[in-house]
Amino acid sequence: MWTFVVRRLLQSVIVILGVTLISFISLQMGGDPTFLFVSERASAEEIEMIRRALGFDRPLHIQYLTYLWNIVQGDFGNSLSYRQPAMNIVLGALPATIELTLFSMFFAISLAIPFGVFAAIYRGTALDGSIMTMAMFGQSIPSFWMGIMMILFFGLYLQWFPISGQVPFLMPLFQGDFATAFRNLPSSIYHLIMPAVAVGFYSLSRNARLVRSSMLEVLGQDFVRTARSKGISERAVVVNHALRNAWLPVVTMIGLEFGFLLGGVVVIETVFSWPGIGRLVFNAINQRDIPVVQASVIVLSVIFIALNLIVDLIYARIDPRVKL
Amino acid sequence: MSKTRSLLVASAASMVLAGSAMAQVSDDTIVVGLSADITTFEPAAISSRDNANIVRHIFDTLFSIEGDGSVVPDLATDLAISDDGLAYVYTLEAGRTCHDGEALTAEDVAYSFNRAKDPANAFTGNTPGFVFSSVGFVDAVALDDLTVQINIAAPNPIAFGLLAEVYVHCMDSYAAMTLEQAATTPIGSGSYRLVSWTPGSEVVLEKVADPGTFQNIVYRIIPEASTRSAELMAGNVDIITNVAPDQVDAINASGVAAVQSVQGTRRMYVGFNLSEPFAAMPGGDAIQDPDVRRALQYAIDVPTICAQLLNFPCERATGIVNPPNANQALTPYPYDPAMAEQLLDAAGWPRLDDGNRFTIRFQAGKGRYLNDENVVLAIAQYLSDVGLNIELDVMEWGSVYVPLIRQRNVGPLFFLGSGGALWSPLYDMTDLAKVDSGTNYTHWSDPRWFDRWADIAAANTPEEQRVIIDEMLQVFYDDGPWLHLYFQPDFYGVSGRLNWTARPDEKVYLFNATLN
Repeated sequence: MWTFVVRRLLQSVIVILGVTLISFISLQMGGDPTFLFVSERASAEEIEMIRRALGFDRPLHIQYLTYLWNIVQGDFGNSLSYRQPAMNIVLGALPATIELTLFSMFFAISLAIPFGVFAAIYRGTALDGSIMTMAMFGQSIPSFWMGIMMILFFGLYLQWFPISGQVPFLMPLFQGDFATAFRNLPSSIYHLIMPAVAVGFYSLSRNARLVRSSMLEVLGQDFVRTARSKGISERAVVVNHALRNAWLPVVTMIGLEFGFLLGGVVVIETVFSWPGIGRLVFNAINQRDIPVVQASVIVLSVIFIALNLIVDLIYARIDPRVKL
Repeated sequence: MSKTRSLLVASAASMVLAGSAMAQVSDDTIVVGLSADITTFEPAAISSRDNANIVRHIFDTLFSIEGDGSVVPDLATDLAISDDGLAYVYTLEAGRTCHDGEALTAEDVAYSFNRAKDPANAFTGNTPGFVFSSVGFVDAVALDDLTVQINIAAPNPIAFGLLAEVYVHCMDSYAAMTLEQAATTPIGSGSYRLVSWTPGSEVVLEKVADPGTFQNIVYRIIPEASTRSAELMAGNVDIITNVAPDQVDAINASGVAAVQSVQGTRRMYVGFNLSEPFAAMPGGDAIQDPDVRRALQYAIDVPTICAQLLNFPCERATGIVNPPNANQALTPYPYDPAMAEQLLDAAGWPRLDDGNRFTIRFQAGKGRYLNDENVVLAIAQYLSDVGLNIELDVMEWGSVYVPLIRQRNVGPLFFLGSGGALWSPLYDMTDLAKVDSGTNYTHWSDPRWFDRWADIAAANTPEEQRVIIDEMLQVFYDDGPWLHLYFQPDFYGVSGRLNWTARPDEKVYLFNATLN
């Protein structure tokens, strides 16, 4: 196993290098970013001065290699907009997105598994039809539309939930301010409910269908028939035998989904005014704040690689057929 | 009741209480919903309007410009301008201090100006990038404790107003801070000081001195327009900016808030790129002829664009200057497509067999101005109706369109807005102060305009100046490089509990806001 882990870590270095190169090239394709940082009345001399100060006058390969050399030494550069260390800006926004992603995944998985199981067990019934109809809608409805509708109905009309904004829990927790973190927890969850449902509904729908398909396949297997013939209760057959095998593809999907959601919740973060990394990266791209974009890409890549590694390790643990 | 059930009930109750508490805004607090994140509190790095609106409550300036264009003293009580127009000598009010208790003197004013210009700091905000570039700032010198002299490179009729935009802070505190610290720890002399800033979420200010009615100001960052409107209608915010035109009716019908629509000072126009390279492009040769440009003025129904796409009744612009200061003898071009066709025929561009007169590219950025994409589509259609074959190129604003604009390499037709002011017509006109101005995106070079700037500088009285200005604006109206459109309206949602009037210059200042 350790050989596998070491090999994956070495591969991840190459992946991160590749990701930084692709993002760097992509950002440069829009042309000279200097113009976004100078006034329209700036003279040619002033533009050139700013270009030099921001380092945009150097050849692209020098800019990239200098950037790589700096990050090896732990210097990710300063945000061109915030004038602060780019990595600090990114890490400051990350806890909010982790909160949203974790809560939405919890919502999605805690419902997807029972929905999928019941749909499979009661296949062909009204219950199965209802769950699959819900899943179809869930995968069809755009999350931003759902978010806006939830704001209008639950936030404005019923006033059951806060319309927007975040009360931080993870950030004070990471900073060691446990009193603030746990004092904020009820309000934090309260603010999380609507955005998490908006984010997680698609995942719930997809995973419910995945669990259902997987369960149907497993329930038809010989070992399940054998378990039933041995007189084991149906509940035990489903939970201890069938589900344990059926949720293997779901484990893989969950791991990948978490990584995608970390960088992909920008729309919901915008709708609900959630100060997360998705919105930060989107704004940074628009403003050509290259250090922030690069730092975000690195952070998200590291998280994604780590998640993939964890998923693979878990998969090997729960499926004895898999050898690392 | 089981333990689990008790825990669930308690959790639900605590969340509801948390939510209920959040919804109430107290009487000593005013909450503003902004559409864009702010990025810094470094006074010399401020460039966005939202950022400036917050920071203005923390930092004072030498003079202040009111919403109607009038000028009032702030830190300074008096100003004397040297005969050669190169030195602006301000007399400061005695007894002013910064938030850390440091006395604010002429030395601090000079430091604020010189620090903003220091190349070592590489500031790119409004002060060094726009104000200093526009006035040709040289340096600032403290003559004594209460007298500071600002030196500029050449006489400039709008230097006074521009210098009034520079934020002043104390020297000792900023000399002791790194640039990173200054970006998060503003120390000004204004009515409010920064209490907390959660990037991407909110800014909280508290009052430390007059003027100011509310003890606390909370700025919440709410990027999505419908969410901002919902927060306003739920009573969670008092003022929201950038209300989408299609949400005006819903807010007005809510009974808890109303929309204030103001004609702003941002001049929206279609520019004609008259440079040589663009003259060689399809359609670029046609627009070189002032008769063609004048013909196209009749092709656009600007009032309908305003009414249908901006939800605001507007009068079409007659030129580059905001209405109170415009040439009052000029009337807006009417919408008369028949006249447009007649003039285009007369100019030597008849309709060909395919029905088109000429092909021309029309470029625009999207997502920057109010309903810009639909406005551009409407303009393109109006031009098509009079026989132009429009090749419309709408592109992403920040990364694609802005570099083209800044390199003056956009067109032959392009859609753009330019911020203006009410305190002087010359401020609006200085977009075209010189042929090679960075803001002369059209490369217009008519000597009947550009040669008159020397006459303005030489004029002895405001009345003499006004005659020259009107003559210049007549030239701009007849043969100028802009297809005149409108002044972009601004929509502010204002809670019914608040007494506050929106300004036309996009500045959201809360000093005089009160409860009803």
